[in-house]
Amino acid sequence: MNEMTSSAGRQPSQVRKRPLLPPKFVQAMLAGHSALGLAFAALIYIVCLTGTLSVFLHDFHRWEQPDAPLASGPIKTEAIAEATRAGHAQAVADNVAQDLFLFLPSALSPRFLVTYFNDAGKEGEWVADNDGRLVTRVVSPWSEFLAHLHMELHLPRTWGLFIVGLTGVALLSSLISGLLAHPRIFKDAFALRWGRSKRLQQADLHNRLGVWALPFHVVVSLTGALLGLATLIIGVLALAAYNGDSEKAFATILGPRAAVTEEPAPVPDVAPMVASVQSKAPNAELVAVHYQRIATSGQHVNLTMRTPGHLAFGNTYYFDGNGKPLGDGGLEVGGIGQQILGVLQPLHFGWFGGLGTKVIYALLGLAMTIVTQTGVAIWLSRRRDKGLPAEKWERLWSAVTWGQPLALAACAFASLFIGEELLVVVYLAVTLATLVLAAGVREAATVRRAFQGLSAVALAAVAVLHFNRWHGLASDPASAWIDGSLLLAALLFALLAFQPNGEATRNQAAKAAL
Amino acid sequence: MIIAGTPQATRSAALCRDQKDRGTRLAADLREVQSQGNVPIHTPSMTLLVICAIALIVAGVLLLRASWRGARRHNLIVAFGWLFIAASFVVMSHTMSAERAAAYGILAVSLAAYAIVAISSEVRKPNSRSSAQLSLEPEARPTNWKRAIAKSLLAIVLAGVAAIGIGVAFAVAMPMGPHDRIVIGALLVPILWGGGMAWTLADAKLGRATLILLAISALSYAIAFLPKVLAA
Repeated sequence: MNEMTSSAGRQPSQVRKRPLLPPKFVQAMLAGHSALGLAFAALIYIVCLTGTLSVFLHDFHRWEQPDAPLASGPIKTEAIAEATRAGHAQAVADNVAQDLFLFLPSALSPRFLVTYFNDAGKEGEWVADNDGRLVTRVVSPWSEFLAHLHMELHLPRTWGLFIVGLTGVALLSSLISGLLAHPRIFKDAFALRWGRSKRLQQADLHNRLGVWALPFHVVVSLTGALLGLATLIIGVLALAAYNGDSEKAFATILGPRAAVTEEPAPVPDVAPMVASVQSKAPNAELVAVHYQRIATSGQHVNLTMRTPGHLAFGNTYYFDGNGKPLGDGGLEVGGIGQQILGVLQPLHFGWFGGLGTKVIYALLGLAMTIVTQTGVAIWLSRRRDKGLPAEKWERLWSAVTWGQPLALAACAFASLFIGEELLVVVYLAVTLATLVLAAGVREAATVRRAFQGLSAVALAAVAVLHFNRWHGLASDPASAWIDGSLLLAALLFALLAFQPNGEATRNQAAKAAL
Repeated sequence: MIIAGTPQATRSAALCRDQKDRGTRLAADLREVQSQGNVPIHTPSMTLLVICAIALIVAGVLLLRASWRGARRHNLIVAFGWLFIAASFVVMSHTMSAERAAAYGILAVSLAAYAIVAISSEVRKPNSRSSAQLSLEPEARPTNWKRAIAKSLLAIVLAGVAAIGIGVAFAVAMPMGPHDRIVIGALLVPILWGGGMAWTLADAKLGRATLILLAISALSYAIAFLPKVLAA
């Protein structure tokens, strides 16, 4: 809901005589921008808010189980072999032996993780110690809930991915139309005017936050849309060029797939494979190991190995069950398409650096969330300025804006007691309750304050309860700094709740001035 | 399938151990750097270069501000502003790879601009002047439910069909390696879909947009499926 606000307070002589874009074109773009923003506002807001939190997904995993071991040094080849053996044995015991992943500790997460899954969707995840022994099963209902909400909205996977992908497209489209509806983009690039009118204030915030982080917004929405729509696009491509076989189409870009067979075979050791990669790329470090169809004669091993200086997690090197090299994915230094594939996820989530990068991504993600929030708020203010206040929609938007942090905080609180499946019920119940309560209140400001206050209480309760549960038991520092961050967030929400109603103050001051 | 605890599993583990010995050189052993992951190694000179790069970004953004906020726009100052920002990327690329420098440089420009906008924000006295008079309004258009549904179908369905058609046609027909044409083709889809959405929602003439999108869809799917049809 972009607005051209620059002429505010300027003399006619100062106003640009020949605008960069014709006013008629700008008005048409504004109309399209408003319609699209309003249609997708709630979805974009939820995806942006959960995306901002998802930047810290690995840290939330650690916070939920702060007694799980962290890697205390380099992982040796013996530990990799032991983790493979133990992980496979556990997968067999759980009746999920098909694909096995080992994730070695990195800047992203200092844990040594062993994960297994099968085509039926069953999976298991363990934290291993430095010797590769499985220590504890990963239990992280909040992190899993958050990830599935951001990526699939807890809908059936195919539909969820498509709707989130479509939301990414809508966001990208809003960026395009917003840019074209902003002819004084340079002149107004530094204008941030508080206090005059709510609409001008919101428009300035919307435009400044949107414009100055435009490359970030474009990259995140584009990569998100692509990740969400990949199944649909590849499905159509498969119809056109792969006889409808999507697996084959995916294999073209994701590398060779293991043959499906039940014939047993020994699990190959990765050490010679790592050595063979390092003979060509001496700086390459092992990041992850993926055994496809483990312990069968058709098995494959994919090694993810990173060389310094790239944004990608690493390059993937393919080996058959006998350790014979089958090529690599070129994700670091291959063709442009391969390199794009390599950076999609790291660029989307900000997972190409350490904690500092994640904090920057979270700040810019929060900016994107505020841009979405202020977009609808501008439309509502415009209605009010025209003497056509949409009070019901004002309350509803307040309920979405401030009810979602409350719903997420309530889920984090509930996750201390219940599993992921029930968290969806808690989320839906709180979301529904916020909307119903908002319908029964007279003013949007009351809705805002109530949910800000409740969010503050919920966040503080999560921090206190988590600290109380893990005090003296937690060995992971993530436990303390996330509890501290939750308390800070609670304080911020409390301050917002006790902030005077800006619009009422403005109206009173305006009346007094008259 | 190997069952845990069976002779097969034991043999498998033994094989792993034998092979492991042959690969001992490799990891010396998966060096310590591994646990540090992507975190670059810092030296005082690198820290200094990063500080210089940040200073260049701040100076560049301040120059842009000086020109754009002034009564007259000075192109030379604007050029120097962008030049400083570009120079910061070059300086940063001496402390890390070019691709990482570009990523961090873009993030740093956003943060620096946010900070400067926040610091230089103005607090004005409230007045009674309606902000409706201060800004350009969206185009007023007559609308109804039928038109809204038609627009939604155009922007979401037809623009999507056309965008996927172009992306798939690119992935099938472009003379590039399979990775390049498939990934670039896929990347084109959200860009074109987003652009199509923006255009169809802004264009008041529904018939024109429908015809153009139908023509694009027909052409792109013909290109995408023609090889298959000819081969059949």
